[in-house]
Amino acid sequence: MTIRLANIRAGYENFALQNINLHIETGSFTCLIGPNGCGKSTLLKTIGRILKAQSGQIEVAGLDILASSSKEVARKIAFLPQNPAVPAAITVEQLVGYGRAPYQGLFGFASQEDREKVAEAITQTGLEALKDRRLSELSGGQRQRAFIAMALAQDTPYIMLDEPTSFLDLKYQYETLELLAKLHAKGRTCIVVLHDIAQAARYASDLVVMKEGQIFAKGKPEEVISPQMLTAVYGIRACVYADPVSNSPVVSPLPQLAVDGTRSNTSAPKAGLLAAE
Amino acid sequence: MSALISSSLQQRSVIYLILLSALVLSCIWGLKIGAIAISPQVLANTLFNLDGPQQKYILLTSRAPRIVLALLTGGALAIAGSLIQAVIRNPLASPKVVGINSGAAFATCLMIALFPTMTLTNIPVVATLGGALAATIVLLGAHWRGLSPVRLALVGVAVGMLFDSGVDFYLVANTSPEKAAPMMWLTGSLWSRTWSHVEAVWLPIVLLSGLAFSLSYQLDILRLGDETAIGLGQRPALMRFIALLTATVLASISVGVVGVLGFVGLMAPHMATRLVGGQTRHMLPCAMLVGMLLVVLADCVGRALAPPIEVSAGVLTALFGAPFFIVLMLKSDRETTG
Repeated sequence: MTIRLANIRAGYENFALQNINLHIETGSFTCLIGPNGCGKSTLLKTIGRILKAQSGQIEVAGLDILASSSKEVARKIAFLPQNPAVPAAITVEQLVGYGRAPYQGLFGFASQEDREKVAEAITQTGLEALKDRRLSELSGGQRQRAFIAMALAQDTPYIMLDEPTSFLDLKYQYETLELLAKLHAKGRTCIVVLHDIAQAARYASDLVVMKEGQIFAKGKPEEVISPQMLTAVYGIRACVYADPVSNSPVVSPLPQLAVDGTRSNTSAPKAGLLAAE
Repeated sequence: MSALISSSLQQRSVIYLILLSALVLSCIWGLKIGAIAISPQVLANTLFNLDGPQQKYILLTSRAPRIVLALLTGGALAIAGSLIQAVIRNPLASPKVVGINSGAAFATCLMIALFPTMTLTNIPVVATLGGALAATIVLLGAHWRGLSPVRLALVGVAVGMLFDSGVDFYLVANTSPEKAAPMMWLTGSLWSRTWSHVEAVWLPIVLLSGLAFSLSYQLDILRLGDETAIGLGQRPALMRFIALLTATVLASISVGVVGVLGFVGLMAPHMATRLVGGQTRHMLPCAMLVGMLLVVLADCVGRALAPPIEVSAGVLTALFGAPFFIVLMLKSDRETTG
């Protein structure tokens, strides 16, 4: 039960992922990080088959994703886009109910099991009191929880989120991440694109660092986040130290005078930079 | 605002009951009024086959078909508008945005210019072809390099303007009475429609409406956006194509048979969403009833204002629709953001 990508080529006209090979363990909390335009969202969408890979193989829990029907994929992977459209005047419970679509026919008649899964998802996300409220009446954080509940109702081993924190206030960012950590602890494999390295380092069990359509590094946060990586991938000089609360790596940028452009990974990290631990 | 919002089963039942009663009452009113006023008693006698030939003729040959046609086209426009709003995900979306009205109007003018001897009963067919042509151009343009709802709306407005300018040119260039005949039709009138018009359109409207109802749940998924829809196992491109095709034919047929009834396809879905919530399986039947009510009422009021002169139903739907829509938009700022 893992996700395995072999020789994946995917992407849009002017941007492509080249020859991606990746292995994501079941039960992990994997974060994809990297600068804007590095392909992390494209990679996530390719695994979830929101975007169809041009060549290569993707296997998710034994299922050949590229040869399966959309509904079969939707029973393995729940995917939440970065900024989902919010339909006018629907309630939280109705939204969560759509998570059952992969198990339903054309007309969307809900079975007893569908209703139970929806109720369970609402309970797990703490939305009981809000289930009859309209999405438009909710705060950004509550709405994000409602969408996560929809993904939970999908009842899939894998749950993928594309930058789930990017439009939220700080409080709701952490509320969302804590919720994901809780779901991860209960056995869901979470694969999340995050913009914020500190958040990724704190919540992820595994990090995948991307640069220009390639996987630059993969491993535990404390293995991956180093001054060298930050210079090579993000083009910044920074020191890395351990977070006093979680002991996860935290990045602190240094004055950037010495950095010459983007490809200075060989010369920049020198004396004065501390590594983690 | 929130007093209008209801989602429980009982509340929805009450709303449906009120709408249905209003619809029945306005249909009866529609049979009663016109250039020849018919009293309720005579109306009843005639309906139950007890009275003289003149009233019977007026009621069964003139007024009944136009009411049936008002119900059919009102429902069709409302369903078309609901489908298009679900696809474009924009509160301002309507059949007009996809260029249907303009294409249908232009095709009619072109037909009258090229074949002046053709009878007016050919208008529905030609208008449907024109509407479908405009919608096809818009959809092809919007699908170029992958469909985006925004490009769909922009291309629709541009193509609509192009066809509108063709109509304007025709109207400026032809001022003789017989060539100006489409003017009356363009304003959306139910005047002098007969059972033959009903016969021509009822079956496709009923079938396509049935198709639209059967797609309710899929439309809800589509409204979540393409990526979410794919993630839920849907094929949004296919669903969008089916929904838009259905909407195009429904709206084109209505425009073809009664002309441009502005704002019905825009207002009905909004009012229905306000009344019973946004889930399509609840909203779509309600929108259909509201659309029917709007057109029947517009036709009745148009006849009641100054008999025997008739004000076109399309003039009235636009007259009441425009300010109503502005109010709706101002109130719905919270619904449409985010």
